[in-house]
Amino acid sequence: MIIFAIIIGCIIGALIGSNIPTIPYTYSGYLAIAIIAALDSVFGAITSTLKRNFDMKIFLSGFFVNAILAIALTYLGQKLNVDIYLAAVVVFVGRMFNNLGTIRRYYVEKLASNKIIAKAEATIKQVNKEQEK
Amino acid sequence: MNKTVLSIIIGFVCIILVCTIFMQFRVVEETDITGIETAREEELQTMLSDYKTKYEEMEEKLTDTEHKIQEYQEKIDSNEQASELLEEELAQTNLLLGKTDVTGEGIIITLTNNDEKSITSSDLRYLINELKLAGAEAISINDNRILNMTEIVDVEPYILVNEDRIVSPYVVKVIGNQTYLSSALSLKNSGFIDSYTNTGKTVEMKQEKNISIKAYNGRKNLLQLRYAKEVNE
Repeated sequence: MIIFAIIIGCIIGALIGSNIPTIPYTYSGYLAIAIIAALDSVFGAITSTLKRNFDMKIFLSGFFVNAILAIALTYLGQKLNVDIYLAAVVVFVGRMFNNLGTIRRYYVEKLASNKIIAKAEATIKQVNKEQEK
Repeated sequence: MNKTVLSIIIGFVCIILVCTIFMQFRVVEETDITGIETAREEELQTMLSDYKTKYEEMEEKLTDTEHKIQEYQEKIDSNEQASELLEEELAQTNLLLGKTDVTGEGIIITLTNNDEKSITSSDLRYLINELKLAGAEAISINDNRILNMTEIVDVEPYILVNEDRIVSPYVVKVIGNQTYLSSALSLKNSGFIDSYTNTGKTVEMKQEKNISIKAYNGRKNLLQLRYAKEVNE
């Protein structure tokens, strides 16, 4: 159900994004930072789902507020003539890699444990068969 | 929270995210194509200052080139002047050498053989000497231009002028100051005409306003020196 929602949402988003008018290049830098922030929130949400402490409110607030804050900070940086957006990119992308690492480890461990369980089951079956004989 | 609401919210978030990402893709893509229209302000400023510098450089070059053009123009002008002078000189030299047709006032002397006496080359040489003394500028005998190399010799029964055989009557055309020429020739007793008519030779002289004397048209090598070389110091 949720996976369907994600796929359909992605398709609709792609269609809309390909057809609506674009923003001027001057503001595309802000948009890029917002996208990075949003992606960070998404990966954070996936990680938290795997850790079973996912909270919809935290996810939604993180998604929007992070994006808006990133834009605001970038704007401020431009006014101060400091490239704050670099800091935002470093932080968000670093967190994204952390989250991705967590996700990877979760699935690798799961795979490994699955194998161990399968092995154990096989051994139990064999033992059972021998007992029957 | 119910699963349907959750799915709807997540789907909505996905729509927003993917929509923005695709929009950004397009912005970046289009920027490569349209360039200046979508460039950032700083980039535009840099470009502007670049163009200003280029413009200044170009302007300097332009003034330089204009200066050069002016110099060349001056050179051309002076060259033209020089070539004009040269041409003038050449024309004058040609005139002096007798390589051009000339016209002007002067006199015509006709010497004719009569029954008793015939005209010899020495008579002609004497006449021409007299004429030169009187300031003749161009002389021809029977349309043979007299140059400084011209020979006048007797080769019976002709007289040879510029290797051309001529016979009586000998028409000597002279361009120069009419008064000087005629008075030099027609001095009483000692003048050319009197002295020759006294010895019984037929000499006639008439003055004319417009005498035309043709250019030298004989052998070309008479005008080319083979042995005399210019001394360069």
